[in-house]
Amino acid sequence: MAETAKSLVNEFNQQVKPVSLWADAWKRLRKNRMALIGLYVVIFYIVVSLIAPILPIYSPNEQNLMHINLPPSFKTAGELAVEKVENRIARLTEVLKTQDREDLKKELESQKAELAKIKEEVQHDPSYNKVYILGTDYLGRDMLARIIYGGQISIGIGVVGTLTAVLIGIVIGAIAGFLGGWVDNLLMRFVDVLYGLPYMLIVIILMSMVPSGSNSIFILFIAIAMVSWLTIARVVRGQIISLKNSEFVEAARSMGASQARIIFRHLLPNSLGVIIIFATLQMPSFIMNESFLSFLGLGVSAPGASWGTLVADGVKGMELYPWRLLFPAISMTIFLFAMNFLGDGLRDALDPQSKNRT
Amino acid sequence: MARFIIRRLLSIIPTMFIIVTLSFFLIRFAPGGPFSSEKKIPEAVLQNILKKYHMDEPLLNQYGRYLQDILRGDLGPSFRYQDQTVNELIGATMPTSILLGSFALALAFLLGTLAGITSALRQNKWPDYLSMSIAVIGISVPLFVIGPVLQLVFAMKLSWLPTSGWINSRAGWKTIILPMITLAFPYFAYIARLSRGSILEVLRSDYIRTARAKGLKESVVIVKHVLKGAMLPVVSYLGPAFSGIITGSVVVETVFLVPGVGQIFVQSALNRDYTLIMGDIIVYSAILVVMNFVVDIVYGLLDPRIAYK
Repeated sequence: MAETAKSLVNEFNQQVKPVSLWADAWKRLRKNRMALIGLYVVIFYIVVSLIAPILPIYSPNEQNLMHINLPPSFKTAGELAVEKVENRIARLTEVLKTQDREDLKKELESQKAELAKIKEEVQHDPSYNKVYILGTDYLGRDMLARIIYGGQISIGIGVVGTLTAVLIGIVIGAIAGFLGGWVDNLLMRFVDVLYGLPYMLIVIILMSMVPSGSNSIFILFIAIAMVSWLTIARVVRGQIISLKNSEFVEAARSMGASQARIIFRHLLPNSLGVIIIFATLQMPSFIMNESFLSFLGLGVSAPGASWGTLVADGVKGMELYPWRLLFPAISMTIFLFAMNFLGDGLRDALDPQSKNRT
Repeated sequence: MARFIIRRLLSIIPTMFIIVTLSFFLIRFAPGGPFSSEKKIPEAVLQNILKKYHMDEPLLNQYGRYLQDILRGDLGPSFRYQDQTVNELIGATMPTSILLGSFALALAFLLGTLAGITSALRQNKWPDYLSMSIAVIGISVPLFVIGPVLQLVFAMKLSWLPTSGWINSRAGWKTIILPMITLAFPYFAYIARLSRGSILEVLRSDYIRTARAKGLKESVVIVKHVLKGAMLPVVSYLGPAFSGIITGSVVVETVFLVPGVGQIFVQSALNRDYTLIMGDIIVYSAILVVMNFVVDIVYGLLDPRIAYK
C-alpha cells in the first residue's frame, strides 16, 4: 500500500509509520489491559511449571500419613498437630466444667498424654517442620507441589497437543486449499465426516483401549490431537483459497517461484495470524479435555497428577476438606481465564482490518 | 428444498457407516477384551463364552454379522451386564439423559439469548458488564469444577437442594436443578456472547437504519428486524451445542449420580464391554447427525438468503 515511508497514511489520512504486522499487533495488544494481564499470567504459569524442579517446594509424590488432610496454613505441620490436640483438650475441659462425667475425664487424661507424645514427636521428627501453605491431600502430600506439577502436565499436554493439532491442520488445510479439485473435495468430505463424530467419546474409547500402566499421557495427547485438527484445517484452507488468487501470489508465480515456495513463503506466513489466534483459543479447550478425561479416570494415571485428577480427588472429600477441591480448581480456572483473555486480545490485535488504527 | 433434504438425508448413510466401521475395528484391535481382566477362567469355559458371542469367528464375519444386526435395530447382548441386551440398557437410561439434555439446552438458549439481548441493547452499561463477566466464567470454568462447587455450596453448605440422585428419588424434581444448571452454564455463556455480537452487528446494518427511518416503533424494530436477523448464528450454534451437551452430560451424570447413558458409557469404556460401547457410540452419533440435519433445515427456513439446491 505504501509508495514511500514518508507519505504513508491510513484511510483517515493520519500519518503512520511503516510497521510490521507483529509490531502493530503488539502495540494494540498492549492497549488491551485484560489481554496483557492474561499474557503475564500465562507466562507466570509456564515459567513456574518449567522451573518446578528447582523451586523450594516439597515433592508432589512424597506421602506422609501423619500429615493427611491438613488445612491450608502458614504454620508448620507440628504446630498444627499440637494445636489440634490442644483444641480438643480445651473443649473437653469446657464440657467438664458444667457436667461431671467419668468417661470424659478419662478421655481428657488420654488426650493430655497424647499431647505430650506429639510434642515429643514434633521435636524429634524434622518432617513436622514442613509448612503446607495450601494444605495436604488424603495421603499427606503437599497440595502446592501437586498443583504445580499437575499444572506442568496439564499445560504440557495443552502445548504439545495444540502444536500437533495445528501442524496436522496446517498441512491438510494447505494441501486442500492450494491444490483444490478432487483432492480438496476428498479431504474436506473426510473432515466433514469426522466432524459428525462425537469426538470426545472417540477419545474416551481410545483411552479405554490403553493398557493400564503404559505411558498414558503420551497416548492421551495423541488421542486429543488426532481429533482436534479439523477446525484449523478448515480455517487454513479458507485462508489459502482466499489468498491463492491474490496479486502477490500471481507476481511470485510469474517470477517462477515453485509451488512449495509459494505455499511456505507467501501463503502460510499470511495465514499465521489466524493460526496463532486459533492455537491460543484451542489450548484452553485442550487442557479442559485432558482434565475432563483425567476426571473420569481415563487420563493421567496415579501417582502422576494433572489438574483434572486433582479436582477429581478433591471432589471425593470436598465436604470436610474443601481446600482439596478449591485450590486446584482455582489454579486451573485462573489459567483458563488468562488464556481466554489472551486469545480474545490476540484476535483483536491481529485483525488485519484494524491495521494502523490507533 | 425437497431435493436438498433428500440429499442431506442420504449423506447421513455414509457418515453412520464410517462411524460404525471405525469404532468396530478400533475397539477390536484394542489390547485386552471384556473377559481378560476377570479371574482365571478355565480354557474350555472361555472358549464356550467366546463361542456364545461369536468371538471365535474371523473378524470380518463378526463385522458382517454386526452390520446385519444393527440394520435390524439389534445392538446385541451386553458382555458385562448379564441377561441384558444393549438395547435394554440404553433404552432404560436414554430418556433420563434426553430429559436432562433438553432441559439444559432450553435453559441455555433462553437465558443466553436474553442475556445477549440485554447486553447488546445496554452496551457498555452495567447489565452488559455483568452478563459478559458471567459468560467469561462459563467459558473458562470446566463443567467438572462448576458441578462440585455448586454441590458444595447449594447442597452441602446451604442444604437447599439435594446433592445427587434423580427425579424418581425422594427429593423428586429438585434433583434436576443442579445438574441442569451445570450442564447449561457453558452453553449459556457461548450463546450470550454469540447473540450479543450478532445483535450489535445487525444494529449497525442499513436495513435497521431503514426500519428506523420509516418511523417504526423501537420495540418493533428490535423484535421483528434485529432479532430475526441476529438469531442465525445462534441457531447454527445449536448443532455443536447439542453435541457438547451430549459429551458434557457424561461428566454431569458422573458428578450428580444421574442414572443416564453417560454413566453407562464411562462404565462400558472402563470394562471394555464391546457391544455396549458400540451401542452407545452408534446411538450418540445418530442423535448428533440427526440434530445437525435439523439445524441445517431450520437455518434455511430462517435465512431467506440461503437457497437450497
